Amino acid sequence: MPSNTVTLVQAAPAQTRLPAAEAAIELRELRKVFGNFVAVDNLSLTITRGEIFGLLGPNGSGKTTTINMISGLSTPTSGTINVMGYALPHDAQQIRRLLGAVPQETALYEELSAWANMDFHADLFGIPRREKAARITKTLELVQLLDRKDSRVSTFSGGMKRRLALGRALLHEPTLIYLDEPTLGVDVQARRAIWDYILGLREQGKTVLITTNYLEEAQVLCDRLAIIDRGKLIVVDTPTQLKRRYGGQVIEVETSQPIRALPELQTLAGVQTVTQSGTHLQIVTEGAEKVVPSVIGILTREAQITDIAVREPNLDEVFLRLTGTALRD
Amino acid sequence: MLHALRYDLRVIIACAKKDIKSGLTERAFTIISIILPVNILVLLSLFVLAGSQAPTAVVMADTGPHAQQFYTAMIHAHSFRLQQTTASSAQQLLAAGKVVAVVTIPAEFDSRVDHHAPVQVNVDINNLNTDFTNDIRRAVPLSITSFYAAAFPNLVSVVPNEQDAYPQDTDYIPYLTVSILVVGLLVGGLLLAGTGAAREWERETMKELLLAPASRWAMLLGKMLGAFVLSLAGVVVLLAVLVLAIGVRPVHWGEVAVFTVLTLTMSIAVGTLLGTWIRQRQAVTALSIGTTLPLFFLSGAFGPISFTTRPLQLLARSFPVYYAIVLFQHAFHNFRLNTLGVATNGLVLAGYTLLVIALAAVILRRSTLAH
Repeated sequence: MPSNTVTLVQAAPAQTRLPAAEAAIELRELRKVFGNFVAVDNLSLTITRGEIFGLLGPNGSGKTTTINMISGLSTPTSGTINVMGYALPHDAQQIRRLLGAVPQETALYEELSAWANMDFHADLFGIPRREKAARITKTLELVQLLDRKDSRVSTFSGGMKRRLALGRALLHEPTLIYLDEPTLGVDVQARRAIWDYILGLREQGKTVLITTNYLEEAQVLCDRLAIIDRGKLIVVDTPTQLKRRYGGQVIEVETSQPIRALPELQTLAGVQTVTQSGTHLQIVTEGAEKVVPSVIGILTREAQITDIAVREPNLDEVFLRLTGTALRD
Repeated sequence: MLHALRYDLRVIIACAKKDIKSGLTERAFTIISIILPVNILVLLSLFVLAGSQAPTAVVMADTGPHAQQFYTAMIHAHSFRLQQTTASSAQQLLAAGKVVAVVTIPAEFDSRVDHHAPVQVNVDINNLNTDFTNDIRRAVPLSITSFYAAAFPNLVSVVPNEQDAYPQDTDYIPYLTVSILVVGLLVGGLLLAGTGAAREWERETMKELLLAPASRWAMLLGKMLGAFVLSLAGVVVLLAVLVLAIGVRPVHWGEVAVFTVLTLTMSIAVGTLLGTWIRQRQAVTALSIGTTLPLFFLSGAFGPISFTTRPLQLLARSFPVYYAIVLFQHAFHNFRLNTLGVATNGLVLAGYTLLVIALAAVILRRSTLAH
């Protein structure tokens, strides 16, 4: 197997500072330190109103710490946070009114019914009494849990709990919603349903901030993505641009027998990585059209090519390229 | 302003309702919170009952009026749990360890007393336990003195001229059980409020509260109100056991109601503070029980703290339990255990309560998540 080292992108590309009116969230040189451990390291980021923005990174990368600081649950060691034009910690109460939160652990009262959870949330957020019952009914209907309104949450599946937590976050009609790992531990069908709700929020003009370590989820949902690793911002861009900028193209080749000329493939201009697994070769290149003829020439000297395809890279490959580690590490 | 107050009131009621519902779903725990204070009341009462009177067998070799008078004097010594029996049975009981002593009122007791001849009352003691042994050693001469004072008042030239501070005497059990009521209220309030607050952290539902725009004060007061309502069942049971089963009737019912609310509020405030601070139900439970009992013993539970040493008095006065005991002893027995007066003692207890609520609010206000 060739040993091709990937280059880490050391610095995040400079971001265009958006006018305060357009920025839903502005983080400037945000830093959070626990003892000797730097959880978030000089993070600067702007999230535009109305977009679905994803924070992507492996476990322990600083996503949840960042989101906790944005929602006022954790105090930054240094740096500034502005949410919808309000500054933390001074305007924390105003920010909480605008914020709908779906924490990773859902924070539902499992011993209570779905309705009791919603009712409590409505009182906590001061939803007018006259509107309360109608709004709860409408929201439970939206997340398809109205028929289970009197059931204890402890009897719900993981997906139902996530839907209920999402419904609860929407009950007070927030303009900014954050979802921390919204589909963690949820089956495929429920995941699809949650994605549909999240995509529906964009239609309503809401700003959505999600953290995830599912690349597929980020690709489907997010208008823009920030990849963070070890508390540092690696890159911010749209999923498409990220793939274009950092992923190149991938040539997948199936051969009749394993190939020995991997070092030769590696030296071809534009080739970034070459990996072989049995008779399967994967070559990541900057421009496939220039490389494919040379690849075919080298491979056919040793074996027959049974299949060859060129495709766009996925975000896993982008992530690997940018951080040097797979997302599940 | 009015809108903000209404909103705060709504949050208080919502938090209380939610905690009551949550508490009622955890029935086992709620029942334990009720049973534990009653258990403490019963156990400590039994402990006192077991320790206060020495089981003693009396052999009446003479049953004349003086012998009977002597027996009555022994009853009034409040140190014996007497049973009359035969000489052989008495020795068997002593050998079996079922009585501490055998007191034998000899034959010809009456005639020897009438003739002012010396009478020897034999006392066989199982001196295994110094406490009981000393009780017997003190109580037998006391009974003899009492007997003479009653039977031959003209022969006793030195007599006490007693001026009582209170119109009624109060036995040890009625005195102590009132203090035990305080510890019961303390344990019940601490457990319910402490575990209620810690449960929010353990189950990670605290995020729902911390992310709400409501004031921390309102949330805290709501949680305290919830714990207060849940504690009421335990209070009713405690008072019923004290009044109906043990037979301790308060002199001032109104004070009992007010001081119960005050003491319960204080213990709930401390519980909320501990739960918010420690965030673990198991630790809160251990700490509640572990600190309440020493505090109870330190705070004048067994007798007025003013009868003890100066350092112990200073120590006791630094704990709110002391003031609660003072107040309850007044409510039940009309006792004044210190010179502060009922109102001042009440104010000190209320001051402690407000201080603890403020501390809990500060801790909740500063509460952030660890990650």
